[in-house]
Amino acid sequence: MAKNKRDGTFYINPYLGGVLLGLVLFGTYYITGRGLGASGAVKSTVVTAVHAVAPSHADENKYYSKFLSDDVSPMSNWLVFEVLGILAGGFLSGTIYGRLKLKVEHSPKITSKRRLIAALAGGLLFGIGSQFARGCTSGAALSGMAVLSASGIITMMAIFGSAYLFSWIFKKLWI
Amino acid sequence: MVGPLIPMGVIPETWNNVIALLLGGGFGFALEASGFSSSRKIMGTFFGYDFVVLRVFFTAAVTAMTGILYFDYMGWMDASMLYINPYYVMSAIVGGIIMGMGFALGGFCPGTSFCGIAIGKIDAMFFTAGLFIGVFIFSELYPLFEGMYNSRNLGGVKIYELLGMRETVFAFLLIVAAVGMFYGAGFVEKKVRKVEY
Amino acid sequence: MNKKYLLLAGIAISLGIGILFMPEKNTEKQVQPEQLLAAINDPSRFLSTDDITDRLVKKDPALMLIDVRPATQFSAFSIPGAVNFPIDSLLTASIQDMLNQKEMDKVFFSSSDLTSDQAWIICKRMGLKRIYVLEGGVNKWFNTIVKAVKPAETAPAEAMELYQFRMAACQHFFGSREMGANPVATAEKKEVRVVKKASGDKTGGGC
Repeated sequence: MAKNKRDGTFYINPYLGGVLLGLVLFGTYYITGRGLGASGAVKSTVVTAVHAVAPSHADENKYYSKFLSDDVSPMSNWLVFEVLGILAGGFLSGTIYGRLKLKVEHSPKITSKRRLIAALAGGLLFGIGSQFARGCTSGAALSGMAVLSASGIITMMAIFGSAYLFSWIFKKLWI
Repeated sequence: MVGPLIPMGVIPETWNNVIALLLGGGFGFALEASGFSSSRKIMGTFFGYDFVVLRVFFTAAVTAMTGILYFDYMGWMDASMLYINPYYVMSAIVGGIIMGMGFALGGFCPGTSFCGIAIGKIDAMFFTAGLFIGVFIFSELYPLFEGMYNSRNLGGVKIYELLGMRETVFAFLLIVAAVGMFYGAGFVEKKVRKVEY
Repeated sequence: MNKKYLLLAGIAISLGIGILFMPEKNTEKQVQPEQLLAAINDPSRFLSTDDITDRLVKKDPALMLIDVRPATQFSAFSIPGAVNFPIDSLLTASIQDMLNQKEMDKVFFSSSDLTSDQAWIICKRMGLKRIYVLEGGVNKWFNTIVKAVKPAETAPAEAMELYQFRMAACQHFFGSREMGANPVATAEKKEVRVVKKASGDKTGGGC
């Protein structure tokens, strides 16, 4: 196993990964009183960017203005640092297990271009959906489940239920 | 030390960002090492050839939940101080359905796409670009969605309250359900033809 | 490999069984402000004195009458069969346990509606179910039931029936109308609930 570890095909046992992730999530709750998140950082960045480009527009928009306050820049948000941490942690793991490689991963049945368009469209929908649900798979579903919140568990079921359905519709993209 | 530490004032707020970096690092490492940086591995859950998402996701949720319940019971942590996302009935379901569709198209969710970027997946970069555009579109069209976005707020309600169950019973059933699903997943994986990725 | 997973599953399930034995937390069940506001504006928590009396006469086992006045006033006079939980002791653990009986209808009363309604709001916020307030409190109960006024001859039949019911109930509680007329005199008599004369009239006066 040690020999294969660096060729990029080795993944840790999923239950070990789950316990690790669970401990990180628990630690986050224990230290900060909130869960993990990812889409919140995207929102903060968008709000900051729009505010920098068109300040009056951001102030007028009811959604941006919710997250704008005079003394704190939304960029200094907790989640932005957390996402920087995700990038660092992912990079570390990728280095250890030899997975650092610039590439487009796609099913042999589709072209790279098609995969990238689908990824962009998927990201776009995910971005819209995460704002409706006030969090994404990590922020709403995973963190919500840990504290047994109704919104977390309902959102989780909605995500996985609809993903299951649509994945068969878009089956050609994957297998 | 009774948690949560920062809201209790045990750790000063200035450490917030350092802690965020460290916790995010752990999060990213656990995701990447489990294989969440690969969209085709993630999608295996929906086609039945690789249930890594199901296993990691539910193990993590159950681990964290158990930790919180035991720490609260021992008095090491005040679980009532933890932040609970408010439950807006319509908004949560609609958002979940849209995200599911994005999941099936993109093969990532926001957290895993950052992991993909960290190891150089170009599709993950496109997915994240899509995220930014999606959030931007939502914000610009917010007046259209505002009604639904704010309708039927049940507050930070817990799932067992909605179901009229005891918290402990629900938590126990969740653990049993998770173990049952792991068993079932292994069964399905054996039946389904392997997909090379 | 398989044995390892069996062990892990065993650990997970035994932790789950451990969770099952944890006591229920009260803080979790706090009612949201919006819900509390809606509940306060809903008058259905008020039960009438006749309603309570009928249930007392019928010895409804699910009825729990709670006097939230101070102990001195309770011992001077109260509604027969009531228990005394003074409002300042409402949050003590033993009383909380008594109130946390899901199958009981908890009815608070004081001299008027005021203190009993405060007790109701406290318990509502703690998420207790099946809690009510006796409308008008012990004073109204005394005036309507014990000192029931005989309606005029021309009054409708319902009014007469109500009066008869009240009379019967009063006899049920205090033995005779004369004794019930003076609250201080009845104070010592409170425990003595011997007269069963009302049982015959009950059907006639039942609501």
